[in-house]
Amino acid sequence: MAEESFLADDFLRQLMSVGEVDLLVGIPSHNHASTLLQALHCVEETLRQNFVRERAVILNVDGGSTDDTRKLFIESSERRDVAHKGLTSLRTIHRISVEYDRSPSQGLALHHIVAAADLLRARACAVVSPGTTNLTSNWVANLLRPVYREGLDFVAPLYARSRFQGLLARDLLYPMSRAVFGQRIRELYSDEWGFSGRLATQCLEKEVWQEEAMRARPEAWMAITAIGGGLKCGQYFLGPKPASPAGTSPDLVDAIRQTVGNLFWCMEINEPQWLNRSSSQPVPTFGPDHELSSDGVPASPEKIFDLFRSGVNELEPILASILAPETHAQIKAIALSDRLKFHFAAELWVKTLYEFAASYHHSVLNRDHLVQALVPLYRGRLYSFLLEHANSSPEVMETRSEMVCQEFERQKPYLVERWTTKH
Amino acid sequence: MKELVIQGLRQAYDNLVHMFAEFLPRLLVMLVIIVVGLFVAYFLKTILRALLHVTRLDRLSEEAGASRFLRMAALPSMTELLSRSLFWVTWSGFILIGISVLGVAGLQEQISRLFLLLPAIFVAILILFLGLVTANFLSRAALLAAVNAGYPAPKLLSWSIRFVIWALAISMALEQVGVARQTVIAAFSIVFGAFMFGLAIAFGLGGRELAREFLERNLGDKKKEKYEEPQPL
Repeated sequence: MAEESFLADDFLRQLMSVGEVDLLVGIPSHNHASTLLQALHCVEETLRQNFVRERAVILNVDGGSTDDTRKLFIESSERRDVAHKGLTSLRTIHRISVEYDRSPSQGLALHHIVAAADLLRARACAVVSPGTTNLTSNWVANLLRPVYREGLDFVAPLYARSRFQGLLARDLLYPMSRAVFGQRIRELYSDEWGFSGRLATQCLEKEVWQEEAMRARPEAWMAITAIGGGLKCGQYFLGPKPASPAGTSPDLVDAIRQTVGNLFWCMEINEPQWLNRSSSQPVPTFGPDHELSSDGVPASPEKIFDLFRSGVNELEPILASILAPETHAQIKAIALSDRLKFHFAAELWVKTLYEFAASYHHSVLNRDHLVQALVPLYRGRLYSFLLEHANSSPEVMETRSEMVCQEFERQKPYLVERWTTKH
Repeated sequence: MKELVIQGLRQAYDNLVHMFAEFLPRLLVMLVIIVVGLFVAYFLKTILRALLHVTRLDRLSEEAGASRFLRMAALPSMTELLSRSLFWVTWSGFILIGISVLGVAGLQEQISRLFLLLPAIFVAILILFLGLVTANFLSRAALLAAVNAGYPAPKLLSWSIRFVIWALAISMALEQVGVARQTVIAAFSIVFGAFMFGLAIAFGLGGRELAREFLERNLGDKKKEKYEEPQPL
């Protein structure tokens, strides 16, 4: 078996002592001592309340925590076993903890989780982040249930968001992945998701786990693998997504490197899957498929515009090697426009992204550098969005977002043309 | 008298014939060595070119930005440049061996010295290539990081990095071929020292405001400078 080569002996022994399970919940951690117990409590509550007769395992995969994360998990497991004696007699909730590496990597963590799911023949699995501050037992249940009871193979979360939160996901990742891969999954990049044992087995067989693009953000690849394998995908509305505490979430540059870099890489390795696909399909959705709440415009958006303008100016030779001359000229022209009348049109935005994706494919320069060169342009689009929607209602914003999605789909032949044209 | 002249001419003719008899085989050997060298060099060039195609060096060079500079200098691709260099270095070696077979006095020593330089020249070319690739890669990485972080004068930072690496690579290459070794080291030290000193003065005096801004941004109260960017995910 492929997994025999990388799973530690001790971890394998723990898995073998568990036997087979119905449900597996993976908790990747790295220095989460302050929030781990809360997450563990939610998972246990979920299993006790919603899956009374199922055999389950909670798997903590740790990326070299230097605080007491693992110790807390192990000690809490021992205490809870004693505390719930009698109440848990109908089922077994096993707890396993493993350190997969000395440094954190979501990709390695997921690799261990899917290997465990495959070995334990789990039917439904979920990954939850101990960093999510408002994780509830309902969230975990809602990720597991559609897989276990409805037969879905991948369940993405849906969140209620404030108007200007998650714009990278709403204005780039969702519309582009929807147009390219043809499935309307809104949150491909999230900290929580559910998947079937069948999908875990398929993913385990792929030779991608050592790829750099998989290190930080493996979840979208998992969904795209499910789409490519003809498996059923869906999404479940979980509730409001809280803003991450300052310093705990990746900044804009890191977020773009991790997610957009990963999306371009997914396009590269799944090329045959999407080149001939022309439209998108909705996926089964439990609850509302979006919810926006009103909030104010972020402070000092002018700084965002300044960064866009200076980026277009300073990176001119790099952008010239990535973009088509007309697109580059249009971007340079809008960078010179008046700040208050600035408008980065959806059509230009889509064209820009498709040219970036094609240049990534043709490796016109180092791929990480290429993705980083997108940051100033995203800032331009972000500033335009903030100007345009400063007073828009959530409904208007959602309508505009749908128009952007359609623009991505309309221009897809242009992507295919750029992608397949040899440079 | 007449006999003496004839005898002298005959001796000169004999010497000439003798010299030709001795020289012609050497000339032939030289030609054979040069022709064999041509084939060997061509063979090595083909092998290296194939190897570099397999290892996708051109792609690496393109990604690192070195290819752009080669195009600007009207040079061929990196694979072609390296394989052609190997061809010329190898063939030049054979030509020098061939010339040394002629046994021309005084030339032997010069040829052997030149011959010893050939590997060093090849290594120097390699050092220059690696310097070019590294300089482009690191200067571009610095430019992108500085632009995205909103630092002032990102191009200055990028060009500084490029300049320092180029200066280092060129001095290493010259030292490798042994060209005015002491002078090169001294020149590098002077250029590098002057550059850093110039930067220090420019940054500290000429750009006092810039320096203050930079230090405040990095060491001061970060909250003061922080602008709000909506959470991307």
